[in-house]
Amino acid sequence: MPSENRIKILPKAVVCEESNLRGDITFSSGCVVHPSATVIADAGPIIIGENCIIEEYATVAHRLEPGAVWDVNNILSIGTHNVFEVGCQVEAAKIGDKNVFESKCFVGRGVTVSSGCVVGAGIRIHGSQRLPENTIVYGEQGLQREAIDKQGSQTLQIDFLRKVLPNYHHLRKPNYDPKKARSVV
Amino acid sequence: MSFMQPSPVKYACSCGILNPINMLFFCRHCPKLRCGFCVTHEIESHFCSNCLENIPSTEARHKKNCCANCFDCPCCQHTLSARASTVPVVRKSEEAKEPKDGESKGEASPPVPASSKPSAVPTTKKMYYLSCLSCRWTTRDVGIPDQGVATGTWPDNECLYQARFNALVEYFQAVVLQEKQEKLEFMRRKAPKQHKFPSLTDRTGLTVSLIRRQIGWNDKAPKAKAVIAPAEATAEVEGLPENIFTEPLNLRNVTTITQRHSQPADQPTAVGSLYPQRRSLWIKRSLRCRQCEHNLIKPEYHPTSIKYRIQHFASYHVPEVVMVRCEQPLVAGKSNAILLKLTNPTIYDMTIRLLTASPPDDPQLSTEATRVAKEEPISSSPLLKAVGITLSRQNSTREVKRDVIDVSNAEIVPLESEFVLNQRDDSKEFDEDVQLSTEEPKFIVWRKGNKVLLRLQFTPADELPGLADVILGFYMQYTYVNTVNNAQEKREPTTHVLHSRVFITAGATEQKAN
Repeated sequence: MPSENRIKILPKAVVCEESNLRGDITFSSGCVVHPSATVIADAGPIIIGENCIIEEYATVAHRLEPGAVWDVNNILSIGTHNVFEVGCQVEAAKIGDKNVFESKCFVGRGVTVSSGCVVGAGIRIHGSQRLPENTIVYGEQGLQREAIDKQGSQTLQIDFLRKVLPNYHHLRKPNYDPKKARSVV
Repeated sequence: MSFMQPSPVKYACSCGILNPINMLFFCRHCPKLRCGFCVTHEIESHFCSNCLENIPSTEARHKKNCCANCFDCPCCQHTLSARASTVPVVRKSEEAKEPKDGESKGEASPPVPASSKPSAVPTTKKMYYLSCLSCRWTTRDVGIPDQGVATGTWPDNECLYQARFNALVEYFQAVVLQEKQEKLEFMRRKAPKQHKFPSLTDRTGLTVSLIRRQIGWNDKAPKAKAVIAPAEATAEVEGLPENIFTEPLNLRNVTTITQRHSQPADQPTAVGSLYPQRRSLWIKRSLRCRQCEHNLIKPEYHPTSIKYRIQHFASYHVPEVVMVRCEQPLVAGKSNAILLKLTNPTIYDMTIRLLTASPPDDPQLSTEATRVAKEEPISSSPLLKAVGITLSRQNSTREVKRDVIDVSNAEIVPLESEFVLNQRDDSKEFDEDVQLSTEEPKFIVWRKGNKVLLRLQFTPADELPGLADVILGFYMQYTYVNTVNNAQEKREPTTHVLHSRVFITAGATEQKAN
């Protein structure tokens, strides 16, 4: 594991300073990370796609398996337009696009989340499995169903947060501009 | 003390069922304990628990006890909420219609595809769909078109045999009407009209039928019998589709049992035919004593109010017994003591006596006599009784008397004397001065305001095995000052001596060492 954090924040991403970030994390543009959200990249880098929201007390973790060491190639890639709601804990192996992790849900290691999935509030998913596209896990018993209608987009919410969060919180400065980086090389 | 746990102290209701005190009611006119089992439950009002609209009972029956505006999710039985979406409206009406048709075929597409050309001035219109906040089911999932208004216009899903169902309903309504008429006829003949001059023929209607026969009519006016084509049983059953054997079953498209039961009309097997279900109405109940027909519980009419107009919970009238603890671990055959806290909820002092044997029935419960009189008219006519017709109101059903099952398995040392439980006085809580310690019986450990902590000695039965519940049973005799009078003339509040049987589950005996 690298000794210091390497956090890349692309322009237009809003990452609050009070968030807990550890390891090699890349926030693509348009991401919103609330204060006291936690992102832990122990086992390998985390790359978070565009327009993701990570709310308060949400934890996105890429944890070391017992006996394993930091591996640069072991990337946890998180797609675009994902929402991690308050208090959720996500340790999935791979996350696609447009997923919603509702409050206080838990997604264990080894779960592969495809696209358009919704993990309902308080649901706990363990074991090695793959959630097919548009799966909705809901209810006390964790029933699954397939959504036919697409989930509503989060753009309004993201725009609002992008406007409001800088008024009340210190932000981490975007430190990586892909255009500039290319021009330097 | 026992929050969210079954209470260890149970009272025997006058019908013989054991209940914790918070499940019991107290009829001040009888005066006896009543439980939910031995009172009549009446529907006070219907209302929808979601929109809190009050619905009169006739309207509720007409609407099949469902709310007109609220829907339940067919997928998870949660309440659906209307969601608004803004839809760009195309000026030309033909163009606006076309994408809607495509949507109703069940294609999950945004309400208006981007292909439709917006007019020069784009106007938007609010369209509503129903969505479940729990499982994210929406009406768009099953292809119900969005509506222009949020409530009222949602289509009812009609099942295949709706016509047959309506025919059956009509038929049975006719049958009910016919039976009612026959009963009326029967009653008329049973009790003929009192004429000035007694006539024998009137009683049988003989003259009428004679005249009819002479004219050549039928004996009776031909009754229009309701007819219905009976259902036909068939031995031919559709075979299973071919692909069920070859293709893997996708369980996500199959409905669960709960989902089928929530849609009883057609009980769909495929997820695609789930439709929003109208939300069932809730009721407010009023409870009535079966003996004296006085109300025990009467809620306020308005659905948003959770208060009562009449509330006679037992905990407002009967001293409450709370088990505090046992002094020693429970061992079979070894004498022990239990601490009980008694609370007086009334504003009159109570004299309490704990008895181990049934006290003699006090004669002042004069309601016993009236009760017998009240039950009399039910069986007035033996003929009517044979036909199974009861003329009385439904709520005067007779009480099922059962003996209290004596479950106690411990020997109690009775208290040497009775004691007084002081009245409840809310202002006393704030008094600074300490009560003068008067001469107290030995068993009273502590006393404050309307509360008394007392020590009761008992011995669990010898033959109890290890880890068996020790149950103490005793009669609590208490004085109760009744402010209502059964008699007409104004009198002073009367004092009754009442008793209730109390059973306390003290806990399990210790596991024997050997």
